[in-house]
Amino acid sequence: MEKAKISPRQLFVLMVLFQLGSSIIIPVGLTAKQDAWLAILGGMAGGLLLFLLYYKVGSYYPGLVPTEYMPKIWGPVLGKIFAFLYVLYLFYLAARVLRDFGEMLVIFAYPETPLFIINLLWMVLVVYTVRKGIEALARTGEILFTVVAILAVTSFILLVFNGSIDTRNLQPVFEEKPITLLKAMGESVTFPFGEILVFTMIYPYLTQLKKAKRVGLYAVLISGLILSVTMAINLSVLGFSLLSRSQFPLLSTIQTIQLAEFLERLDVFFMIGVIIGGFFKITIFVYVAIMGAASLFKVKESSHLVFPLGLITLFLSIGIAGNFPEHIREGLDVVPLYLHLPFQVIFPLLLLVGAILRNKKKQKKQLATK
Amino acid sequence: MSPFFKGKKQAAPNQSQPVDPMPGSITSNLQDNLSLVKQKFGNSPDIIIRELKIGSSKAKAAVIYVQGLVDNQLLNDFLIESLMQYQSSSQNETKPEMLDNIYDLVIPMGGVKKQTEWSKLLESLLVGATLIFIDGTDKAFTVASTQGGEGRSISEPTTQNVIRGSKEAFTENISTNISMVRRIIRTPDLWVESMKIGTQTNTNVSIMYLNNIVDHDVVQEVKKRLKKIKIDSILESGYIEQLIEDQPASPFPQIYHTEKPDVIAGNLLEGRVAIFVNGTPFVLLVPVVFIQFFQTPDDYYFRFDIATFTRFLRIFIFFISLIGPAVYIAATTFHQEMIPTQLVLIIAAQRETVPFPAVIEALIMELAFEVLREAGLRLPKAIGSTVSIVGGLVIGQAAVQAGIVSPPMVIVVAITAIASFATPSFAVAISVRLLRFIFMGLAAAFGFYGIIIGLIMMTVHLCSLRSFGVPYMAPLGPFRPVENGDTLIRAPWWATKKRPSLFSSNNVKREAENQMPAPPQPRTIKSESTEKGNQNES
Repeated sequence: MEKAKISPRQLFVLMVLFQLGSSIIIPVGLTAKQDAWLAILGGMAGGLLLFLLYYKVGSYYPGLVPTEYMPKIWGPVLGKIFAFLYVLYLFYLAARVLRDFGEMLVIFAYPETPLFIINLLWMVLVVYTVRKGIEALARTGEILFTVVAILAVTSFILLVFNGSIDTRNLQPVFEEKPITLLKAMGESVTFPFGEILVFTMIYPYLTQLKKAKRVGLYAVLISGLILSVTMAINLSVLGFSLLSRSQFPLLSTIQTIQLAEFLERLDVFFMIGVIIGGFFKITIFVYVAIMGAASLFKVKESSHLVFPLGLITLFLSIGIAGNFPEHIREGLDVVPLYLHLPFQVIFPLLLLVGAILRNKKKQKKQLATK
Repeated sequence: MSPFFKGKKQAAPNQSQPVDPMPGSITSNLQDNLSLVKQKFGNSPDIIIRELKIGSSKAKAAVIYVQGLVDNQLLNDFLIESLMQYQSSSQNETKPEMLDNIYDLVIPMGGVKKQTEWSKLLESLLVGATLIFIDGTDKAFTVASTQGGEGRSISEPTTQNVIRGSKEAFTENISTNISMVRRIIRTPDLWVESMKIGTQTNTNVSIMYLNNIVDHDVVQEVKKRLKKIKIDSILESGYIEQLIEDQPASPFPQIYHTEKPDVIAGNLLEGRVAIFVNGTPFVLLVPVVFIQFFQTPDDYYFRFDIATFTRFLRIFIFFISLIGPAVYIAATTFHQEMIPTQLVLIIAAQRETVPFPAVIEALIMELAFEVLREAGLRLPKAIGSTVSIVGGLVIGQAAVQAGIVSPPMVIVVAITAIASFATPSFAVAISVRLLRFIFMGLAAAFGFYGIIIGLIMMTVHLCSLRSFGVPYMAPLGPFRPVENGDTLIRAPWWATKKRPSLFSSNNVKREAENQMPAPPQPRTIKSESTEKGNQNES
């Protein structure tokens, strides 16, 4: 833990940027076809529940991060083993997200640049930011949030004037069976909303701990709405069949803008938005992973860990998959089931049960001593 | 080791202690005192020692001053003449009595003190005071009011020109500078504290603040940092700036400097602390936020809508001068598909004959421009125009015709250059100049991806800075909605109800409620009153 404080506003901005980071590029909930935007809203509801779960567990140990309260709940040995696994999970996710964004840039703009070089530049920025600390990151978040918002609003206005939005593409609503919709909802719970888990490592920095709940709920809600609206716009501009074949639907949507024979090929809008989003996503993952490792191994100066662990993340991002299809395949088939589900849902539930039992014991002891 | 070096080594201690240690206080023997002064200054001819006899008492005395640091007229007419014409009231007046009489009756000036300590006496002699030694007394007078001599008079600012507003600029004299601010803010709450920094130069450094507005923690911090300075000389406020800033490893200025008294006054009223340094017209201001470097004094004097527009323009200019050439490099090297088709065809056609990649072309042009700028800066004005003509012709025409650089590149460099001159603060313009090359490198290697990563990194860096405890990017990050009335937009004065609470912790109320001007109540239209009104108007 560094000595730093962030305001509720800053936490909110970080959470929203974090959740939008990669999910705005990679389409979510497409199994529901043109109802994907509804599936995202459903996923958001699940995300709210998950957030409440994390908040509830954390509220038994205010001011502590999961790697610190896990040993308290499950005992020192088992707790530390799980805390270690948890840190590994965070590092793996950091590397995954880094790989996502690196590959995205290679495909989108730099086909001849080696992935390693692209990722290296990412990590230079991330390591620099993590060394500067959470306060600098939060302030940067406030400024860049405005930038992203201006870009988004401008793009939306241009899309409207361009006449590319065709809401008929969203029809018919509820075409698929309810079970398919539910499945799509379930998929979108763990990614992107379940990733809000990492903020359990950041709550202790909040100036007003009481506001953590409200801020978190609002953040999930707002980012869910933004995601859903973006998906609805993408769908109505491209239509489902085009969207499902597009690698980056948002890019395809923005590329439809052709106004006044000058405002066209606004790829750079997409690029700015994506790089800002990716920056926050990767940086927050790396930051919490390093903080987790520091608290687990009782390293006083967490900044000493930034260089070595940053380097490990960089190499991990190259090593986790042989090529992009393999990476995507792992991300869709393996990670949600074997990593997201246990770490985002099962472990927090077990933690909650443990915390409730522990606290009951404590209360009984307190009553007994009284 | 050779004897040459040995000899040198042995000589060194003698050089560091050229004179005897100073005796603590003066003696009653005039000649002893005078010879000590002469010895102390190595018989420098500009130390004038005028020996005289005090009027009727015929007591021996000496007036000592430094030529050029005193006002000769004042010294001759009032000090030396009065001393010579002194008439003692009683015949057998003792020396101490005479001393008191001279103090009470003879010297018609303010700033007179009796001193006994040599260190104090010499110190005041060196700032332009006159010393009066009288034989047989162990006290001497220092007359501080004789300070004078030649100095630059108040003139217009050279670095911060304004269209509207005061045309005064600070001078090299610290007391003149302080008085200029006192003339603007006339309240006893305007406090000044002085100290001397520099073991050799003994430079006067003063801090000024409004006691009822300033955050006293900042004042304490400023004093602490100034007292920490142990250096032989302070020749300009830039020395102080570099010795007290928060983060020395940053290209961005963390202390504001200005040569306009109205800027100092405006900032003191927002709770900042000014640091005056003798010998320079540039006065420092702390704490400072980044957005301040995009503000000019006339923003506050013009109408708010125009001022807001120019502020947005300046941010735009900042980005042009920062990434102008970088964007050109990135677009032509990596992202031709992002340029509209017609434009990309034109650029490609022009670039066909150019033998260099865009980044080399840009580097050549930028370096050429930097050389031109540096040459124009140092040359006498008469030759300066020749440089610009030669530079303009050679680079603008000949290089393009020879096919070494492409016309679009010349346009980009020219726009960037003009943009960098349009940045209001030279301190920021100069750091942007440095960063531009880094961005060009990033653009050449990574295209827009490099530029965006660079910009994010710069934002992170800016957000991590602090100036005397105040976050550098405030009130944008951390965002303080209330205080954004004077950042990118400039709210009208009737809406600026509060001072920024970043700097002034306790006293933030700036104006009373309901300051918005409005037309008077419309007159009720009656037949009589309209007739009357008509008569009046005709």
